[in-house]
Amino acid sequence: MSFWPKKGKDQPFRRRPGRPQKDWIAPLMSPALIAALPFLGALLPGLMIRAGRDACALSAAFFTGLALLMLGLNVPTVLAGGVVETRIDWLPQIGLNANFRLDGLGLMFAGLILGIGLLIILYARFYLSKADPMGQFFTYLMLFQGAMVGIVLSDNILLLLVFWELTSLSSFLLIGYWKHLPEGRQGARMALTVTGLGGLSMIAGMLILGQIAGSYDLSVILTQKAAIQSSPLYVPALLLILLGCFTKSAQFPFHFWLPRAMAAPTPVSAYLHSATMVKAGIFLMARLWPVLAGTEAWFYIVATTGLVTLLVGAKIALFKDDLKALLAYSTVSHLGLITMLLGFGTAEAATVAVFHILNHASFKAALFMTAGIVDHEAHTRNIRRLGGLRHLMPITFVIGTIGALAMAGIPPLNGFLSKEMMLEETTHVVWAGQAWLVPLLATIGALLSAAYSYRFIAHVFLGPVRDDYPHKPHDPGLGFWAAPALLCAIAVVGGLAPMALFGWIVDAGATAVTGEAVHVHLKLWHGVTPALWMSIIALLGGLVVLAAFAPLDRLWLAAPKPDAKRMFDGVVGGIRRASLGMTDRLHDGSMSRAFAIGTAAMLAAGLWAFLGGAYVPGTRIGAPMDPLAVAGWLLLVAATVALLFLHRNRLLALLLLGIVGLIVSVTFAYLSAPDLALTQISVEVVTIILLLLALNFLPKETPRESSPSRRGRDAVLAGAVGLAVGALAYALMTRDFAFPSIAAFHIDNAKPGGGGTNIVNVILVDFRGYDTYGELTVLGIAALVIHALAEALLKGGAANDRLLAWKPETPEAGDRHPMMLVVVTRILLPLILMVGVFIFLRGHNQPGGGFVAGLVIAIGFVMQYMASGFGWAAARMRIDFHVLIALGILIATATGAGAWFNGLPFLTSAYGYVHLPPLEEFELATAALFDLGVFLAVLGAVMLALASISRLAVRAGETVNARPFDIDPSDRRG
Amino acid sequence: MFATDFQIVLPEVILAAYAMLALLFAVYTGKDAVAGLLTWVTAGLFVLLALWIGAGGDGARTAFGGMVNDDPFSRFAKVTILLSGAAVLAMGKDYMERRDLLRFEYPVLVALATIGMMIMVSSGDLMTLYMGLELQSLSLYVIAAIRRDSVKSTEAGLKYFVLGALSSGLLLYGASLTYGFAGTTLYSGILSTLGGEVPLGLLFGLIFIIAGLAFKVSAVPFHMWTPDVYEGAPTPVTAFFAAAPKVAAMGLLARVTQDAFGKIPGDWGQVLALLAVLSMFVGAIAAIGQRDIKRLMAYSSISHMGFALLGLASGTAEGVQAMLVYMAIYVTMSVGTFAFILSMQKDGVPVTDIESLNMYSKKEPLRALALLVLMFSLAGVPPMVGFFGKFYVLKAAVDAGMVWLAVLGVIASVIGAYYYLRIVFYMYFGKEGDRLDGDISPVQWVMLVGSAAVMVLGVVNLFGIDSLAAVAAETLVR
Repeated sequence: MSFWPKKGKDQPFRRRPGRPQKDWIAPLMSPALIAALPFLGALLPGLMIRAGRDACALSAAFFTGLALLMLGLNVPTVLAGGVVETRIDWLPQIGLNANFRLDGLGLMFAGLILGIGLLIILYARFYLSKADPMGQFFTYLMLFQGAMVGIVLSDNILLLLVFWELTSLSSFLLIGYWKHLPEGRQGARMALTVTGLGGLSMIAGMLILGQIAGSYDLSVILTQKAAIQSSPLYVPALLLILLGCFTKSAQFPFHFWLPRAMAAPTPVSAYLHSATMVKAGIFLMARLWPVLAGTEAWFYIVATTGLVTLLVGAKIALFKDDLKALLAYSTVSHLGLITMLLGFGTAEAATVAVFHILNHASFKAALFMTAGIVDHEAHTRNIRRLGGLRHLMPITFVIGTIGALAMAGIPPLNGFLSKEMMLEETTHVVWAGQAWLVPLLATIGALLSAAYSYRFIAHVFLGPVRDDYPHKPHDPGLGFWAAPALLCAIAVVGGLAPMALFGWIVDAGATAVTGEAVHVHLKLWHGVTPALWMSIIALLGGLVVLAAFAPLDRLWLAAPKPDAKRMFDGVVGGIRRASLGMTDRLHDGSMSRAFAIGTAAMLAAGLWAFLGGAYVPGTRIGAPMDPLAVAGWLLLVAATVALLFLHRNRLLALLLLGIVGLIVSVTFAYLSAPDLALTQISVEVVTIILLLLALNFLPKETPRESSPSRRGRDAVLAGAVGLAVGALAYALMTRDFAFPSIAAFHIDNAKPGGGGTNIVNVILVDFRGYDTYGELTVLGIAALVIHALAEALLKGGAANDRLLAWKPETPEAGDRHPMMLVVVTRILLPLILMVGVFIFLRGHNQPGGGFVAGLVIAIGFVMQYMASGFGWAAARMRIDFHVLIALGILIATATGAGAWFNGLPFLTSAYGYVHLPPLEEFELATAALFDLGVFLAVLGAVMLALASISRLAVRAGETVNARPFDIDPSDRRG
Repeated sequence: MFATDFQIVLPEVILAAYAMLALLFAVYTGKDAVAGLLTWVTAGLFVLLALWIGAGGDGARTAFGGMVNDDPFSRFAKVTILLSGAAVLAMGKDYMERRDLLRFEYPVLVALATIGMMIMVSSGDLMTLYMGLELQSLSLYVIAAIRRDSVKSTEAGLKYFVLGALSSGLLLYGASLTYGFAGTTLYSGILSTLGGEVPLGLLFGLIFIIAGLAFKVSAVPFHMWTPDVYEGAPTPVTAFFAAAPKVAAMGLLARVTQDAFGKIPGDWGQVLALLAVLSMFVGAIAAIGQRDIKRLMAYSSISHMGFALLGLASGTAEGVQAMLVYMAIYVTMSVGTFAFILSMQKDGVPVTDIESLNMYSKKEPLRALALLVLMFSLAGVPPMVGFFGKFYVLKAAVDAGMVWLAVLGVIASVIGAYYYLRIVFYMYFGKEGDRLDGDISPVQWVMLVGSAAVMVLGVVNLFGIDSLAAVAAETLVR
């Protein structure tokens, strides 16, 4: 990949028919360079701000002129039917290449852009005041000019897209040049929003187009008419591309942004909004005309839009009082006219469209500049405050009048020619079976067009001289009016000698648009044709309308008008409200909502997966249903369902949870897993006790927080998910996995490999010792975290304050440490310790082990705490639980590391048999030592958690008793 | 064997060792007083590792019996992750220090999360996947709630944790189902069992894994945590969230779908396509109503993830390449934008209301211009680099025959463009009002202007990342 043209076989410059060129001159004439020159020119004015405004204008003009010169050098080639191409690889993988082509259409548009650009630079030099930052202005202007030239010279439609959006961007900067005007702000916002969004949607259209044609190069696409029009994606591509064109060229219903953007400085309006940028949409329609036009969809969308725009624009233009608004809407109307012509889909109509593009550019730019001069001199653009300028500004009057007459279509000016040809074309058009419709409406459009042109002349220049102009106007200097004068001269000559001035370029342009050789015969007099009559009706009707302007204007003012700004704001506001509505509903920060949406999505995904795959019933046969199992299952279900309804009473909920735990333990025992059962039941006891202690600080009841409908939703969702998970579990249990069960391995290896007959214990301490080791550490850390949290709470702060202020909901019992309980727990303690040791020792071969032993002994200690209170018990507990945990983990680590001394990996176990009389022979495995670590860590963790909770209780005001029980029968004083 | 394995994961090992040493060092010396130093050192280490990984050899190697990959794909993702992590650390330091938020745990946690991400993108086994993912997630949960005295931040962290834990559970469930029906956790092993009729159980496994990962990339409808966390977390943390973890999660998703389930692209392609469309639209529409720029960026990130998913959904090497290009560009834009957001303040208090940007261009023309470029780039307006990212993705979708998806993508980007343009509008045409004050720190300035410059200069050849991404994608899609 390279940005620079490749040398050698892949010639960067290819010339089809054309005459041979000298080697050195070819690169200078490449379209790529022509497109690049304005960008180079954009750098200079920015750098030369300090050199004065003449230097800025001159440097901009120099580069524009240079580009124009190079374009001129290419004219012979193009007129001979050649296409000049430059191909530079850019990002070939996505089909984006800097390929440029210069053909008739490109030549015409590039000439327009650069030529008018040159005049605008001249004009702007005089229009802008000394206070305006000139360098910045010319930089933006050249940037824009480069983007426009890029559009019309691109051969690659992606490159075209890039330039397309660049015009949006640079026009945004230009429109915003005078950012202090409030209407300018609004205008810039609308222009950017509308054209920007249109341009983005065009990306999709181009993507589809390139996909159908198999290339993003116009030279390929333009040859693929049949493939494109027969593709099922033709209509979507067409719609998306047209959306971009219509927004850019301000076609109905997107016409509202153009007049609003007119708050920009007049040179900008004249350049962007009459001659160039708004023509980009037209250009693209013309460019793609050979492959997109000719279908019904094209005709009805494009021609109708054009016609409606023509009428709507003309009607609004007639009643506008702002000079620039009048011209802006007239531009909208004329763009509609061109669009309509392209929409007809015939080669003749397309030729007329090309011709009218030229004519419109010449007189409309002149008119805008005239309006700018008037504004500049009289300090107002309001038609109602003007009039009679004929005497004060004779030169401006002549220029303005010629321009307006050309716009009206008065012979012998150029506007007349193309308008009449347009009317002629409409007579061939049948719209939905109605042959009269389009000609009639087009005539009305032409009539209105004539009317607003007359009004421009009559209400600005004619009439008596007034004495209340905001500023006494007079004709400006030559530099200021030279540019519009030149354009008017073109309008005149173009009308008188059309073939000489326009014939060749129209030929070239129309040939490029239609794809077939076109030779036009432009002349003033076509004989007495229907078009002539229509033209006469329009011109005379225009006079009538002008005569009746005052009553019509009152009618117009009284009529309700859709306000574009209000509608735009309404649409934007509506979208914003919709968006807020969505976020308020979806993202209100509620956790349960997030869960509901997540689980619902998962449910849908699961359902989708189920429907998408082939369901094969499971092959495993279920075990017979045992009444005992059924009873257990029913109990489990009953406890769970009851929990749903009773969970608000927290004590009850805890008890029900206990039942669930117990049933699970029993299930383990029933399914021949005594180890698990033992572990589960001890864990169950310890957690329930700890939870009970914690519950002490909480309200007895959970308040109701959700509405019934919400609970209903959650119930349905939870039920469905529960059923789904149940079904999934059932499906899994009735199937064989992709591999044999690992159980066989453990059964075979527990004794020979691990030296124990209790497989579960061997798994825990040997086969998967790493797991256990990790879990042990986690358990220790969890206990430390509980401790740290409690410490943090007790340090002070809001939580501590709440603890201090805590009042138990029910008064404390008078006999909190009953003697019976104390006595019984004391007796039980040695027994429990004994049981713990027993369970620990038998662990390796029989159900039991360090984990269970740790829990059992912890229960024994917890009972002491419960019976005699924390203070009393803690005073007698000499062991630091932190140390206990650390010791446990250290022992486990040491055991594991011991294997290294035998040259074995960490945690490899060894075992042997020991005979210590009078005991029976018993086995000693390093695994047992590891188990000791487990035992100590578990014990320490549970006790530390208990101690932490107790400390909270003390802070909350629980009394610390020094004596073992409250009522001591032996203490007579008590 | 073992030594070779270790050599392959040496960057991760070094980073892990550094993280633990840094933690101990800070605990036994100045604690938070050395936090600034640690931040710089961590960022520097990230850059060094990125250079090392980026410059280090080519070709693909595996370690630990195929559980860890070292190939162009993982290297591409790792370099992106490390560099963006370094950038975010460097530009956030000033902010954190000024608001007394700079804890020494912060750089260490970022380093740990980064190790997780590096493991994620190089995983070759469901086990390594989970290990990396959890290391990342657990670190991120803590970082999200690092401002402990703020209720909002704590709440955001907690929500993130609970939802994240749920997603991890889902993923684990999916992984175990996959293991049950494929008989292995190795991606290559899973891939070799596919062919012919796919067992329903495996399909369930796939769906659950994707759902779990969708939480991590915050794809709709698993995105609910994103706006709250973005808003609640301190801005530097949000900036971190918006960059590296997204790349990691996307990379992981690409790995799982292509490496393990590459033979059945139709099955996951549809799911990803749906997630993509939903994300693009919900993100774009929801962002319109936002006034808080951090929340706006949250929705914007959702929408952008939708685009990246679009690339993955196409199921081709081109699609993976598009995703990588997209993510690299997105991360760069994101870093630049957040550098600006970090500098937003009024009277020394951070501001996140977009109304405060009114007429910003008058006060700071250069910064406003940089943000304008970034906003246009985020919106995907040509010729900014952001457009190329979008175009790569759209083209991949179109080439894979998903034309409608591409059209929907463009429509979503049209909707999304509105709120980016609105920020530009405020800056250039807004009302006069209270403006931002305060200076931008040099690092933030460099990141902001640099990222904007990249968005403009990158149009020349995207700095070649597209060809790197192409090589990376080739190794993944076989």
